[in-house]
Amino acid sequence: MLSVNNLVTSYGLIKALKGVSLEAKKGAVTCILGPNGAGKTTLMFTLAGILTPDTGTVNLLDQNLTGLGAPKILRKGLALVPENRLVFADLSVYENLLAGAFTQSRAMATQVSDDIEKMYDRFPILKDRHDQPAGNLSGGEQQMLALARALMSRPSILLMDEPSVGLSPIIVDEIFAIIKQLNEDGMSILLVEQNATKALQVADYFYLLDQGKVTFSGTPDQVKDDDIIKRAYLGGG
Amino acid sequence: MDMLQTSLDGLMIGSTYALLGLSFALVFGIMRRINLAFGACLLFGASLAIYLEPILGWGAWGLFLITIVGVALASAYVERLCFAPHSKRHGALTAMVASFAVWMQLDEISSQLLPQRTHAFQGLEVPNFWWGEIFVRGDQLLHFAIALVSILLLYLLLYKTRLGLLIRATADSPETAHLLGAQVPWLGFIIFLLAGILGGVAAFMILSADGYVTPLFGLWSTFKGLVAMIIGGVGSLMGAVLGGLILGLVETHAGAALGAEFRDMVTFGLVFLVLIIRPGGLMGVKIYRTDSLARDRV
Repeated sequence: MLSVNNLVTSYGLIKALKGVSLEAKKGAVTCILGPNGAGKTTLMFTLAGILTPDTGTVNLLDQNLTGLGAPKILRKGLALVPENRLVFADLSVYENLLAGAFTQSRAMATQVSDDIEKMYDRFPILKDRHDQPAGNLSGGEQQMLALARALMSRPSILLMDEPSVGLSPIIVDEIFAIIKQLNEDGMSILLVEQNATKALQVADYFYLLDQGKVTFSGTPDQVKDDDIIKRAYLGGG
Repeated sequence: MDMLQTSLDGLMIGSTYALLGLSFALVFGIMRRINLAFGACLLFGASLAIYLEPILGWGAWGLFLITIVGVALASAYVERLCFAPHSKRHGALTAMVASFAVWMQLDEISSQLLPQRTHAFQGLEVPNFWWGEIFVRGDQLLHFAIALVSILLLYLLLYKTRLGLLIRATADSPETAHLLGAQVPWLGFIIFLLAGILGGVAAFMILSADGYVTPLFGLWSTFKGLVAMIIGGVGSLMGAVLGGLILGLVETHAGAALGAEFRDMVTFGLVFLVLIIRPGGLMGVKIYRTDSLARDRV
């Protein structure tokens, strides 16, 4: 569904991605593991169009997304939930959700309000707090809001950059239950995560990104059997 | 009763300061930029209106209209010339210095339009009346109503429309707005145009209440607008309205109690106090967040 081919992205002279290729299948949860500085967020930003790659291609369902820029990529069906959530702190929860539907045309007004109702059903806490400024929400609630906001654009694939960052274990469980539920409802997800134990519960396929390169890829079973990953990410020996 | 009369006068004048403050708060709160040429834009609009008035002969409402259009045009011109090319993070200082240069330019154009130092500025003809024992100036009451309507319209635009939501989202986090495809093309232009329209309304109200315009009006209105914004809360729209009203009240009371020569002294004393006690201004509770945002972008 989403296929990334030999992607190179640099910050000035420093190459953060040195030729990354990967594939996210329709209806699957694909997970990218990797240490800090491996280029995970750079990869997410490049896929979402915030950064422009030097070379390489990104294709989503036969559409070439390479170098299109964030608004167009979002319209073509790829939505990113950024790390640290980045909700609009001064806007209400409801307005944040509306903001997520900016790419929908005016004619879609009724569809947008239907979608907001669906988000309230999926995340009841957002309904309770719909008129509060998003900055007053807890970290977990903000993560849910950021997720719901991304869904408002009706993406065909959802990218999530470290949804567990800075959240308590109970909230992380909740977020991963939501990811699983979303996937069961048919959403394709590309997930960046450092918490491999949690990722193993939801993901169908793994890539390991290290120093800008994919150094490993495999199924959850292969991940569990890999000594290096076991030592580095699962805390086992 | 004097107290009440003075307070009423203060509120009337304060409503015009509120508009000046709002213009600054719009530009700073959303763009994180200070437009030093703002007062010069006002002066240009007013000068253009007086210059064209004998040619067109539209009377006081014509002055009103031309002032607004003139200020809005000048404001849009300043945005294109000084702010649009420097919209990136490091452009704040360059843009401010550039706006300083355009201030001089607009001042010069204004004095070419109006070569004498003082020109009469016609006001709207509204009868004055007594309300019980309080004397009400008809034109000031009308100005107050116009200010309220302007503020209300701005509120509706920002809080009840799709464009307003886009503008507020971008003000909150430009990066996230970009990520969501929620960009406003020409955002800076729209904001400066809005600030110009508000400033034009304020300029007309102040000048027609005074009955004349001098070349000093530009600098004076920059000061009043900045002070209203600083008292109320840097970048907060509600704060700017509040700050303007407070400024009007304090000024008139100081003028009545201590004499006109103490008016500005008390005003700047108030700014001094606010900066010491509550550096973010009255409504500027989120100054640290705003400040880090500003630093981020500056």
